[in-house]
Amino acid sequence: MKLFSGSSNKPLAEAIAKDLTTKLSPIETMIFPDGERRIKLNANVLEENTVVIQSTNTPVDQNYIELFFIIDALRRNGAKSVTAVIPYLGYQRQDHVFREGEVVSLDVMIRFLESLKVDKVIALDLHSIKIPELFHIPITHLSALPLFAERIQSKAFNTLVDSNNPDDFLKDTILVSPDMGGLRRIEQMSEMLSGIPWIATVKDRDLRTGDITIKQFEGPLNPSDLPGKRALIVDDMVSSGNTVVQSAQLLKDNGVVSCDVFATHAVFSEEAPELLQESSIDRVYVTDTVFISEEKYFPKLHVLSVAEMISKELHA
Amino acid sequence: MIGQTNTAMESDEFILLAGRANPPLAESIAKILKVEVTCPISIFSDGEIRVRIKPNLRRRNVFLIQSTSIPVNDHIMELALMADAARRANASEVTAVIPYFGYSRQDRKEMSRVPISASAVASLLVNAGIDRILTLDIHSEQMEGSIKQPWDNVYGSYSLLPALKERNMHNLVVASPDKGGFLRAAGYAKLLQAEGIAIAYKERDLEVNNVSETVNIIGNVKDKDVLLVDDMIDTAGTIVHAANFIKEKGARSVRVAATHGLFSGDALKKINESTIEEMIITDSIKPREEVLNNKKISVVTVAPLLAEAIRRIRTGESISQALIL
Repeated sequence: MKLFSGSSNKPLAEAIAKDLTTKLSPIETMIFPDGERRIKLNANVLEENTVVIQSTNTPVDQNYIELFFIIDALRRNGAKSVTAVIPYLGYQRQDHVFREGEVVSLDVMIRFLESLKVDKVIALDLHSIKIPELFHIPITHLSALPLFAERIQSKAFNTLVDSNNPDDFLKDTILVSPDMGGLRRIEQMSEMLSGIPWIATVKDRDLRTGDITIKQFEGPLNPSDLPGKRALIVDDMVSSGNTVVQSAQLLKDNGVVSCDVFATHAVFSEEAPELLQESSIDRVYVTDTVFISEEKYFPKLHVLSVAEMISKELHA
Repeated sequence: MIGQTNTAMESDEFILLAGRANPPLAESIAKILKVEVTCPISIFSDGEIRVRIKPNLRRRNVFLIQSTSIPVNDHIMELALMADAARRANASEVTAVIPYFGYSRQDRKEMSRVPISASAVASLLVNAGIDRILTLDIHSEQMEGSIKQPWDNVYGSYSLLPALKERNMHNLVVASPDKGGFLRAAGYAKLLQAEGIAIAYKERDLEVNNVSETVNIIGNVKDKDVLLVDDMIDTAGTIVHAANFIKEKGARSVRVAATHGLFSGDALKKINESTIEEMIITDSIKPREEVLNNKKISVVTVAPLLAEAIRRIRTGESISQALIL
């Protein structure tokens, strides 16, 4: 098996290779003065099982086109199979026509991956449970939730949140979905954490301005249950950070003692790092599906790696 | 009567949409065709492209105007996503009008283990829902064979020739800056009734990118007005070398005509410092301010050519007979 990495997330690709006790096969990228790139595989791929690792986060178009070109090169040069590991699948929020005249961008990407004859796709924590149905090739949908559950039950985490109950880490801990769309995720997470209770905050979006406000709760718990609780907000991604910041503020206003965020994809658009650092959130846990550049790090940020999870899947 | 009924069922309307690469050219084309052109693209806060087409496309022919110039990947994706949206909105036929086709130089495996990027882009566009491609001076016409759909290619010479004829060049010799451009030079020479043809040789080192050197010339340029012709001006290294060499060989003047003006890197500086008297390009790529303000560079528009090609695609008239000179 030969592993290749696009340019979007080399550290993750290297970690996956290390887990598989191998090395990434080199790709040479030439950048021309007009901005076009030419990639060249510097390894023989004839009759090889190959893997290409590329997250398609911002710059999304460049990352997708680079992925397409690498797959084109693998195919034209005789690779026996091509598995595309796309830890963060770009354009996944455009998975259906919301309003007349719109594009289904994700479907364009999937159709082209299929036409390039990708054998299998591995992706993590897709925004909608229906996304795998858009693929006509095998797709493995991995989740970082078990990784988060493990961390939440670890001594390290509980020392960090100053737990008074070293023997029962989950006592007085509740799960929070920042909007009503994430209930399935919250239920899965609750199951992994001995069925701890959950609540959701309700997001209102102004359709004209796109601004969001979070003012109310819904779910099995009542706001009166919140004082003294440790809240764990769980979501698939943090983009602008507005949703989790507002959700956390509402929780704190209602008496929770600490509020941590667990989200798989650190999309971090606009001023997300500053917004999160200055918010009432205590800690932000994300994974390395999206490469986080140094200037986007902030003191409250903790990054867990999905490398082992992906390498296990590749090894299987 | 039956014919009329059928015609009535098919809408005669057609819709022009444009990406963000070259709005002025799209507007000029629309003006000539006496229709509106709209840009259906906006950007989400995380940088993803959003397309929403507002006009009714049902049973209409749709033309998507987009040069895939820098930033090339975004411009390609805008085009692909517009095609998907047009398909879903029930367009009867979707034509991509691509005045400048990015990645067109990666049109073959020039070494082992590389992709054929230009072909991958063409497949992406077709896969997204494009039925037909119209290009202008594509780098290699073999590209047309990379997809099964119709691909028409027209030439910048249609727009450049009237401007060149105004230059009053005497003892005109049309030159190519490399061996590969011989047929283009011969074509221009015939149309401009030139006295002769010249070819500058170059040896290009593939390992060192965009470095080229003129080493020799075939043809007589002494005391001639020389017109160098090429499909595109990128870093301008090749063309400036050739022009300076031709001038050294005793040419009276050296002009350059090219369809696509990329002007990457320090191209403008090289041109300014060269013996090139004038460079005539088209607006296939939206000219930057500094290009428009450059005293050596003249820009002619390809809008009438592309508008006429669009009109002929709609009506089913021949493109080759009228537009390919």
